[in-house]
Amino acid sequence: MQKAFLVDSSICLGCNTCAMACKNQYHQDNGIAWRKVREIGGETYREDQNNFLPTVTWYAKAPQAQMPEERYYFSLACNHCENPACVEVCPAGAQTKDPITGIVKHDQELCIGCKGCVLACPFGASKYNERLGKSEKCSMCWERQDEGLLPACVQSCPTGSIALIDIHDPAYANAGTTDPLGIDYAIGSSTKPSTRFVHPSLPAKMHRL
Amino acid sequence: MSTHPSPVDALLREGVSRRNFLKGLLASGAVASFPGGALAAEPYVDTKIPFTGKKSYTTFRNACPRNCYDTCSIKTFVKDGVIQFIEGAKESTFTNGGTCVKGNSYVRRVYSPDRIKYPMMQVGGKGSGTWKRISWDEAMDTIAKKLLAIKKEDGHLLGAALTKYSGNFGITHYGVEGMFSSIGYTTRFAGTPCWPAGIDAQNLDMGAMWCNDPEEMKDSKYIILWGANPAANSVHSMKYIFEAKKKGAKVVVIDPVFTEAASKASEWIQVKVGSDGLLALGMAKIIIDANMHDKEWLAKNTKGYKEFKAYLDTINLRDVAETSGLSLELISQIALEFAKADPATIWSGYGLQRHTNGGSMIRAIDALVAITGNIGKYAGGSRYGHLDTWGFNYHAMSMEKPAGSVGYVGGKRMGEFGHGAAGEEKPDYDDRYLNINKTAREILNSDPKVRLLWVACKNTFAQDFDRNLLIEAFKSLEMVVVVDEFFNETTKWADIVLPVTTQFEEYDVNVSYWHYWLSINEQAIKPLHEAKNDLEIAALLSKKLNALEKGSCTFPEYVDTKQWTAKEFNAGIYEKFGISSWEELKNGPVKAKPVIPYADGKFFTPSGKYEFYSETSKEYGWKALPEYVEVRKPYDKFRLTTPHSRFSLHSQFQNLDWMEEFNAEPFVYINTKDATDKRVETGDIVAVFSKVGLLRVKAKVTDNVPSGTVMMYEQWFNNNIYNVNELVDDTSSDMGAFKTGAPGVALHDAYVNFRKI
Ligand code: SF4
Ligand code: SF4
Ligand code: SF4
Ligand code: SF4
Repeated sequence: MQKAFLVDSSICLGCNTCAMACKNQYHQDNGIAWRKVREIGGETYREDQNNFLPTVTWYAKAPQAQMPEERYYFSLACNHCENPACVEVCPAGAQTKDPITGIVKHDQELCIGCKGCVLACPFGASKYNERLGKSEKCSMCWERQDEGLLPACVQSCPTGSIALIDIHDPAYANAGTTDPLGIDYAIGSSTKPSTRFVHPSLPAKMHRL
Repeated sequence: MSTHPSPVDALLREGVSRRNFLKGLLASGAVASFPGGALAAEPYVDTKIPFTGKKSYTTFRNACPRNCYDTCSIKTFVKDGVIQFIEGAKESTFTNGGTCVKGNSYVRRVYSPDRIKYPMMQVGGKGSGTWKRISWDEAMDTIAKKLLAIKKEDGHLLGAALTKYSGNFGITHYGVEGMFSSIGYTTRFAGTPCWPAGIDAQNLDMGAMWCNDPEEMKDSKYIILWGANPAANSVHSMKYIFEAKKKGAKVVVIDPVFTEAASKASEWIQVKVGSDGLLALGMAKIIIDANMHDKEWLAKNTKGYKEFKAYLDTINLRDVAETSGLSLELISQIALEFAKADPATIWSGYGLQRHTNGGSMIRAIDALVAITGNIGKYAGGSRYGHLDTWGFNYHAMSMEKPAGSVGYVGGKRMGEFGHGAAGEEKPDYDDRYLNINKTAREILNSDPKVRLLWVACKNTFAQDFDRNLLIEAFKSLEMVVVVDEFFNETTKWADIVLPVTTQFEEYDVNVSYWHYWLSINEQAIKPLHEAKNDLEIAALLSKKLNALEKGSCTFPEYVDTKQWTAKEFNAGIYEKFGISSWEELKNGPVKAKPVIPYADGKFFTPSGKYEFYSETSKEYGWKALPEYVEVRKPYDKFRLTTPHSRFSLHSQFQNLDWMEEFNAEPFVYINTKDATDKRVETGDIVAVFSKVGLLRVKAKVTDNVPSGTVMMYEQWFNNNIYNVNELVDDTSSDMGAFKTGAPGVALHDAYVNFRKI
């Protein structure tokens, strides 16, 4: 099994509920958000300070000439990679890949704050917390899942644009692509990120003045 | 008299960010000596907690009371007396397990170090920033003595005024109005800045503002979101719209702005602002000309159809095309598709009626829905809002006047949300009503003079218009009392501030003006610091008043919010929601029994029918028919449109650090062409100025807004001088006086200019 987030940009409102639901559950310190809602195509205020993802815009690949700013999004946290770089580099065994679910868990008790995972993750999903001197990241709310609950982000999304799937389950074989428009995921392809994407589309017709 | 305009430099100089404001306070001895640092920006406590399993928490039922369509049902998880996290209640199919971005920040709101902790007095005078901590007793003593002095000197209490609006729509919060009734005849700021023109329009047409259950939209075949942007402001409604779309329905967004909702629609139609009413009339004409109107329904259920039809005959479709900026072909296509689809529905957003012709535009859209026979139909309807589930006792507000009270002669009681309900006697005297949308002007021109102002459930300076004049007005008052959770622009101009509880610290009950669910707020935690809820504050004041002068206040001297919440229920509510006791709400929210508004063809108008022709409208000096009225003429280069942001509810939520994480600063959105003309690029700082004010703000260049219009979200930032209402004058919309007591504000008919600085 490899549990994964299915991110559907065609119905994502960019409402940021998912990202805030994660804060609500884990009270991340200021300046740290495990989940962030990213804008597609808009170069205007992409946040690069977290070095979250390489910024290749969608324009090159997009079917439409230009995607309007601040209207198309995808919500991203840790990709729970099949070959997680963070697990590989962690000297303390704080990052582990659950053999059953495929969830990449971070254990803050064990973390020694060496920043190895922060540097190794091609997606900037692992964050360094200055105050604690440790790193932290999304562990797919495995404690909630163990109780039969959905991850906080998934449960709170008002449109169902983040779902939980198992990419090894044939039923989900066609549930989205590995290619998030606008971002060069190839850079991290060696880690085989599990997140799957459904692409957005413009309204069939747009009448401008 | 106004003090504007303020030159750029003065304004920029004057801008004191909140942090600096606090630093300034700390510098003054009075504040530095506070035990516990009442105002100091302390770091947040480390509230990071591992999830310890659902069973390890005590759970409580809550609701979000903050003037939002969605009025979410909340489940609150508490451990060791501390709220750990919240969730949307799963029992409500509308909330469906999740709140919005704002609701998910509630923990931070409750435990914010910036909360007002104790009663405070601004000892250096309004705006001085020199504060002193006082006890509740001292605060009440000061206020009560002032009230009694006003009564003695003036012979009445009309000098005491209340301004309250939508910071908390919990039913027991009407206790604030009750408190003001309990001391005598007083002054109230009446009306609403929000939606009155549309309320009047729907009341003229149908005798009520009553809309179908939004959950039905999943079965609509054609949905027009007309100036409504639920993808930002009613996120929970979107799932029904997506479901309909998935089943093959067409979703059309008519909006001058390419909104979040427009980006998810089947078709987006950019229309010239203020022409929507004419467009709707044009569509109605096309439908009737094509003989696709619902003749049977019209014959049976309406009044004045013939006159309406005759009026439509005078409309030239070429004018419609020209005024709206759309081709006749497109207009016909949408009109005929809408007429053909069954059921079809239109959701009119509140922005639509914030124009000088706003009420008439909503009436035109109502008429369009009516001629297609979609009113009174499942999954149809002209949707705007409803108060159908608001049938509470309003016990909290029904206080009698003390014996011998003297008041205003010739007043007229008005209100929404059931104002003026049970127990309000109507003797020779009445309270005095002033227009909430002209607060500054009304205070300054009042006779008898307003001397004391009580501000509750609102941030006047973020909400009301013409800031410069407001400062003058507040300075002219002898005492300003502000009850709030946070220091803000309004507390800056207060004499006394009182800390109020959040909904997690009191009992209350909530319903929505959109969906049909009912939730309670349980007291999940003890009030923090010295915060008290609005009812307890009223009780304290009553106790003090009566101690100083026996019989001067009828408000009870002790209040238990749980008991008072119970007192709001009645047989009608129980019947509507299918429960037998309010205690059942502890198991989760409940939904009103399904009902299709006007399905029986009974309307609440004088004629009992849908009124195309309204005598009432004529009585108020408006057109009897939903005729086209031209929008306000421009008085500057660019129209300013100020829709609501998804990150805040007016001035609420954006002040939290968690929210700043996702929405750090305000912007002005400028169309590419206009930006090129003015040599402005994204990221540039521009000065946006109007005849009433000026703001300095970062630009974003985008084709999401049309040329000739700039967009700035209606929001308030903690650490940023940004209040869009500084640019908006207080010009009224056409309607509002009929049902809410005062016309609304033509918020989207403000004009500005801008330049790079
Ligand atoms: S994924 Fe869902 S919650 Fe997150 S921004 Fe998109 S719609 Fe909102
Ligand atoms: S996204 Fe980064 S942190 Fe997450 S599993 Fe992959 S490598 Fe590790
Ligand atoms: S799975 Fe849990 S930890 Fe990960 S982003 Fe969602 S809420 Fe946060
Ligand atoms: S602001 Fe609206 S959508 Fe958000 S939690 Fe409150 S009621 Fe729900």
